[in-house]
Amino acid sequence: VALVVWFTVGLALWHFTVFLPDRFWAGIVGALLGAVTGAMLSGGIAQVLSGRTIGDTDMGTVVVAIPGTVVGLAAIYALGVRRERLAASD
Amino acid sequence: MGGRRRNVLVIGLVLGLLSASAIVIASKPTVLGLDLRGGTQLIYQARPTPQTPQVTPEAIDRAINIIRTRTDKFGVSEPEISRLGATGIQVGLPDVQNAQQAIDQIGTTAQLYFYDLEANIIPPDKPGVPKDPATSPDPNPSIYTLPNLYEAVKFASKREPECVQNQCTTSGPTFYLFNKKSHELRAGPAERRKDLFFNTASERQPPGTEVLTVPQGTVVATAAASPSLDLTPAEISDSPQFVLTDRPALGGTEIKDPQQQFDPTTNQPNVTFEFTDAGRVAFQDVTRTIAQRGNATAPPGTFSAQAADQYSQHFAIVLDNQVFSNPIINFAENPDGIDGRTGAQISGNFDIDSAQDLATILQTGALPVKLALESQSTVSATLGQQALDQGLLAGAIGFLCVVIFLLLFYRLLGAVAVLGLMVYGVFFFALVKLIPITLTLPGIAGLILTIGVAADANIVIFERIKEEARAGRSMLSAIAQGYRRGIATIIDANVLIMFTAFILFVLATAGVKGFAFTLGIGTLVSLFTAVLFTQAVLGSLGRSKLLHSARALGAGPQRVRWRFDFSGASRWFFSVSGLILAVGAIALATKQLNLGIDFTSGAKVTASLKRAASVDDVRRTLDRAGVPNVSSAEIQTVSNPKLGPNVIEIQGKIGEEEGSGDEQTLGPVKTALEREFGLRGGASGFSGTNVGPTFGAQVARSAMIAILFSLLVISAYVAIRFEPKYAIPVIIALVHDILITAGVYSLTGREVTSGTVAAFLTILGYSMYDTVIVFDRVRENVPRMPRAAFSQIANRSVSEVLTRSLITGLSTVFLVTVLYIFGGATLQDFAFAMMVGVLSGAYSSIFIATPVLTHWKEREPAYRARRARLIEEMGRLPTFPEDNVVARVGADGEPPPTAPAPSRAEPAPSRVEQPGPREPVETGPRDGSDGAPEGPRAPAEPEPLPAAAAPEPAPPTRSERQRKRRSQQRRRRKHGRNR
Repeated sequence: VALVVWFTVGLALWHFTVFLPDRFWAGIVGALLGAVTGAMLSGGIAQVLSGRTIGDTDMGTVVVAIPGTVVGLAAIYALGVRRERLAASD
Repeated sequence: MGGRRRNVLVIGLVLGLLSASAIVIASKPTVLGLDLRGGTQLIYQARPTPQTPQVTPEAIDRAINIIRTRTDKFGVSEPEISRLGATGIQVGLPDVQNAQQAIDQIGTTAQLYFYDLEANIIPPDKPGVPKDPATSPDPNPSIYTLPNLYEAVKFASKREPECVQNQCTTSGPTFYLFNKKSHELRAGPAERRKDLFFNTASERQPPGTEVLTVPQGTVVATAAASPSLDLTPAEISDSPQFVLTDRPALGGTEIKDPQQQFDPTTNQPNVTFEFTDAGRVAFQDVTRTIAQRGNATAPPGTFSAQAADQYSQHFAIVLDNQVFSNPIINFAENPDGIDGRTGAQISGNFDIDSAQDLATILQTGALPVKLALESQSTVSATLGQQALDQGLLAGAIGFLCVVIFLLLFYRLLGAVAVLGLMVYGVFFFALVKLIPITLTLPGIAGLILTIGVAADANIVIFERIKEEARAGRSMLSAIAQGYRRGIATIIDANVLIMFTAFILFVLATAGVKGFAFTLGIGTLVSLFTAVLFTQAVLGSLGRSKLLHSARALGAGPQRVRWRFDFSGASRWFFSVSGLILAVGAIALATKQLNLGIDFTSGAKVTASLKRAASVDDVRRTLDRAGVPNVSSAEIQTVSNPKLGPNVIEIQGKIGEEEGSGDEQTLGPVKTALEREFGLRGGASGFSGTNVGPTFGAQVARSAMIAILFSLLVISAYVAIRFEPKYAIPVIIALVHDILITAGVYSLTGREVTSGTVAAFLTILGYSMYDTVIVFDRVRENVPRMPRAAFSQIANRSVSEVLTRSLITGLSTVFLVTVLYIFGGATLQDFAFAMMVGVLSGAYSSIFIATPVLTHWKEREPAYRARRARLIEEMGRLPTFPEDNVVARVGADGEPPPTAPAPSRAEPAPSRVEQPGPREPVETGPRDGSDGAPEGPRAPAEPEPLPAAAAPEPAPPTRSERQRKRRSQQRRRRKHGRNR
């Protein structure tokens, strides 16, 4: 269940990226990959550190996925901006 | 072939098939599933045995054949026995209400061995017990027994492993699981240690238990006072036990023709049998050895049979580790052993039934594998009939709703569609009888939904016909074009539904399989009736006056024309979806899903009692009967007039004990209720389902695999049929719908059953159906609008198919609402998930999938360049491609709009009384090359996208913007003068 929760958090937050300039690497789909991967990673790390099983979920399970989603989105955005700059300089 | 001849041929074919269908319907019976006619369903998992250390497909096939023979011999008509996954076997026994008897008869392994008792007995180290029974026997063999199973196994576990002459019945040690304190048997004997924990939720050794190992070459056999195949673990635990050297003289394969007879001397029921040639020799050899040994230990001069009895030794008949009989081989009567030609008999404390059962089991032979009962379900005939009535009522009302809907919306076309639906109904029913398809409740749900699929195919085509008619085509031409253009869309969408149905059928569990099968067959038949047949009928009506009236076809002036900036407004819809998903995530994390017993294991019982009983009465009764976990079970009285005035429902882990490896069934619950309160209609007043933990996990796993595999196949198909970029938004929309439905389930706390899984998978099909129809229109419009921005193409496409989406969405919602209201408890679960999923699917196709595709496609250099050019030329990006021309019309003496108008601010929808043909779009460089009309009725112009893959321009500086604006104004003034 925790996996589904993290995935849903990543997907939910990704929906709000439409308000940002479309400079993500691979566009809106790249943003989705970043959001979901980040959510799963941070959620997984937090779950392992807390010593809980994958089926043991609460509000904390939602919260721990948020930083990962934001970091994932930021990373994909930074990658997109970098590529744009490289393309412009070429 | 001419169109007219083709139509006549199709109608002739349909009429012929209708006649054939009528014959099939009249002559063939309908095969109803257990949930509709009542009966017992058992699901077994095969485990290895010493004879079959690996569960192979061949072993499963053999086991299925033996089970079929057993059920035939027990007089069960039309048993449904099939393989379930790699090692599962599903047994459906129509009309069988006594589940316990069925379980006893079917699942018994029936490994039969014959032992020379005294030669193989390992006597306990007790005073007065002979150390070597073969040479100094005791006339009473019970002296060699140990008092209970635990003591016997403990004693046997100290033996050294040995396998004399390779005659052992096991390939290794045998394991037993005992309760540490009570020493009661919890599981075993098993060949593998891990098999002891097979029925525990964690599949690990439960706390408070002890595993004992009996080495190879030693066997523990129960010497119960009344041997029976139905002994409970407690009875086995408390019975005396022999410990034997595992060296049988012959096995069950060496006997033949077992029969229930009566002992001529005692007139007690017994089981007689004969030997095969090899068995006869082996039997005579071993009985001779026993007789000679008896003679050798008897005092000299013991000649009378009566006197010889005291010194004669024994022969043990052991069936499934239980000594059924240990007759004396009287050396005075049989000095040369017993000639096996006359056969032999097993006598014990049998009554006629138990002797018959044993004979039948011996007749059918030993199962090559051990069968562990994983799930048991008994449906009473009354409940089955009620479910059938509810399903048929829901089907009839659903059909009526769709008929009314089609007639109101499409009038004559609707009438033709209704005719198509009726033909579909007849064909489908005939196929159900002809194949035959076992009609189950989920199957009826599938059938009702295929009515929606069939209606939808017509709606797609009719909307096309209306568009063509409104674009100025003659009705005949509009009909031809409508079918021509609609068919690709319908095939794409139906192929995807068929894929989903196929994956469901292959991967899902029993109940869902029926649904998948009817959905698949129904979709296929509906393609024929909804497309070919209706086209032929309309084609044949070609010269009818009615066909020339646009009003009669519901193709009058378009009153509602969607003019909404779907792409522009998508951010707000995205926000709504994001919020809903966030709420869903919180609900899933905090409330989780209310998983039903299909997933969590446990039992659910519905019983119609003769005498009224309160919840406490029922709880006390079950508690007294030793039913486990009664205190935590949910017991409630329910109102169901068809079942009777005193109906109770019990739900909990009452059919199994946590950590128990035994196959505990609902037998004790039924017996206790029947004894205390009486069951209305006897066994038919009791319905119950008992699901083991491993089966629950298997259901969940197969559902997950089915969903993931469906997503994979769907994306591959869309990628091939459209282009890879179209696949991702389809998948995003599907995941969106499934997660929203899961969130709603979590929020509302509704129980998730295997029916819900079927609904989830159907949601995949439906949601994708909608998305494919939108994308199909986008794909069609792309080459027609070679200069439009992708968001404009998307807006145009969505606005063209929105009416269809609404109509089909509504018609499906009608159907699932009908299912929800009239379909009874099982179909209600299904209908609720479908309702949420269908609404979410219709929404996500328009507001999630299409905008994601738009965002992604607009990153392509060609579309980026188009967009930049349009903005540069017009100062803004109009919502629809046809609005691009406004730049020119607006320049007719009037200054063009300079401020970029926020396209999403446009009203939606606006009413246009006379839409008229669309304006051609003329934008782009005025070099005379851009006069291609962009209306949908224009001939398709598969013009390649502009090769100028211009990189996205950097944000313009202020001076650049001013320069552009001046240049734009100059161009427009010049253009105005030209006009």
